[in-house]
Amino acid sequence: MSLALLAPLGLAALAALALPLWIHLVRRLELVRVEFAALRWISPRARPERRIRIQRPWLLLVRLLLLALLALLLAQPVWQRGGTRASAWIVLAPGVNPVGARAAVASDGEWHWLSPGFPALGTGAPPSAGASASLLRELDATLAKDTPLTVIVPERVEGLDGERPRLVRPVEWRVVPGRMPARPPGPALPRTLALRLAPDQAPSATYVEAAVAVWNLAAPGRYTLDAAPAGQAVPPTADWLVWLAPPAPALDRWLEQGGTALVVGAGPAAGASLWPDAHGRPLASASRQGAGRLVTLAGALAPHDLPALLDADFPQRLHAALAGPPPAPTAAGATALRPTLDPGMAGEALPPRHSVHSLDAWLVALIAATFLLERLIALGWRRSPR
Amino acid sequence: MLAPLTPALRAQLRDLRLASRRGGAAGLGQHASRVRGAGLEFAEYRAYEPGDDPRRIDWKLYARSDRHFVREAERDSALGVWLVIDTSASMGQRDAGPAAPSRLEAARQLAACVIELALRQGDRFGLLAVGGAAPLFLPAHAGRRQRDQVLLALERLNAAATLPDPARLLPMLERMLPPALVLLLSDFFDKSMVELALRLAATRREVLSIQLLTAGERDFPYAGGHRFVDPESGSELRVEAAAARRDYLERFAAARARLAQRFTAAGIRHAEYVLDRPLIEPLRVLFGGDRGSGP
Repeated sequence: MSLALLAPLGLAALAALALPLWIHLVRRLELVRVEFAALRWISPRARPERRIRIQRPWLLLVRLLLLALLALLLAQPVWQRGGTRASAWIVLAPGVNPVGARAAVASDGEWHWLSPGFPALGTGAPPSAGASASLLRELDATLAKDTPLTVIVPERVEGLDGERPRLVRPVEWRVVPGRMPARPPGPALPRTLALRLAPDQAPSATYVEAAVAVWNLAAPGRYTLDAAPAGQAVPPTADWLVWLAPPAPALDRWLEQGGTALVVGAGPAAGASLWPDAHGRPLASASRQGAGRLVTLAGALAPHDLPALLDADFPQRLHAALAGPPPAPTAAGATALRPTLDPGMAGEALPPRHSVHSLDAWLVALIAATFLLERLIALGWRRSPR
Repeated sequence: MLAPLTPALRAQLRDLRLASRRGGAAGLGQHASRVRGAGLEFAEYRAYEPGDDPRRIDWKLYARSDRHFVREAERDSALGVWLVIDTSASMGQRDAGPAAPSRLEAARQLAACVIELALRQGDRFGLLAVGGAAPLFLPAHAGRRQRDQVLLALERLNAAATLPDPARLLPMLERMLPPALVLLLSDFFDKSMVELALRLAATRREVLSIQLLTAGERDFPYAGGHRFVDPESGSELRVEAAAARRDYLERFAAARARLAQRFTAAGIRHAEYVLDRPLIEPLRVLFGGDRGSGP
């Protein structure tokens, strides 16, 4: 917890403090002018005193304060919390029983949940699981370098990504019995398959329709087929596009916008093989095309050209080819997940932005109050007889 | 218009009279005459009032106009009273305060008092305002008309000039024929006014002087840093007033004493008048009864 300035150069405005000082001093040194004909009998030796004497110190003080506050406002002060945490942090992954964890870890420190915002322990119900690995990295980046960190995880950790966490600090990694609540699978989104046909490809449409019908057996109504001639525009709600026509600008546009399209191949398929046949030759391959993904079938959608078309698993194969690779596993055994120490990550430390609070509003209110006070003093003094 | 004299002041003037110590030949008036055997020089007509000597009625005029007029002759035996007023810029100085008069305003009031005295005694009176390139000179006459003229001229004076070369004043001084009573109203801070007084005193004129001082000059009631500006030369002095006060009071008192001594030695009747005092005080000193009517 500390005060920081976002624009320390704004403090240069403190030079304006000289202004009220100067005004008060000049007013003091002003000599009273008196018309005096008997001038020659006044001894010129008694020089006027140049002693600094401020007549209204309170007014001056309030004016100085007002200017100092304005300068501070220019410097944009912020109240930051968490940037310099000194005491040890003990982080519990969701799913860990807090009571058991407290018994397991004897050392003292701040207890928090490993969940977005890092809520302190004991404030409300245990949160649900989040992206644990990402949260761990964020915590590591925002904590002060010298803050010891203890992480208590259950045996199985959810919410991971492709990389094992590499942290700046050595982490005390405690595994306790328990299980993280699995993230509930998202609801099955409805999918629309757009089929665009050249007139001579009409028989091929049957296989696509059949495949979609098979998909809908497992999830009734989830898949919609939008079959139309190649000239018709592809609706933006479509998820996948099966393009059974010569290449056209509409297809390129679809791919550039990040869509997934399936075309039938001409020549050897480029890209990663998705679907090898019995001899290991790729029947389908996927490649990046613009921002989109292009799946190429080795042959036209006809049994003589692509015998696999008649296989029972063709619909599943087609679905897999269109849907792309399955998501990476997000759970792992806690023991294997122990973070590695990588001091090189320190350079990527994030500013502790989530805990910075601007003080501008308070400062403006304070300035307004000071200004009122200054006016009160200045006017009150003028009215009262000296 | 010049504020008329207050009744109180007018009442106080009753005890005073203008008198020359030098004297002269006896005449019709209260003073010795400068022209022998006169008293017949025509001055003005006025309506007959009961009590007037019938012999003074102008019968020829009665024959023409069917009214009785009395010939007023100028009393050529009367004393010539001259008011010499300094109108240099220092005379505009006044004390701080809402109704504090300037030196020049006080001089006007004093001059009006003296005119009142002269009028009552039937003396001739004239005015010389010294200041600026062209001094104002009104020759001496008697009578109410002359009074009004002089008061009007006094009203028009303003203190915003420097004193002229004394040589320029010579022709006007020569017209103040002795025996004459010359009253100088000035602060006498400038050497030329002092010289003027001494010159007049040395040439058989009866010279009186009133030194007009402000209360600030007498008491020096200032404290703190002050910038004192001479209204005439414009030169200024920055001093800490409280520290300079004692020294100033000593030196100023010495200067005033020296001036009084010089004037007394030259036979000049001298009085000081500080602006916050009653106007009658210097007049009592100069024209009070104990001074008498001269030898």
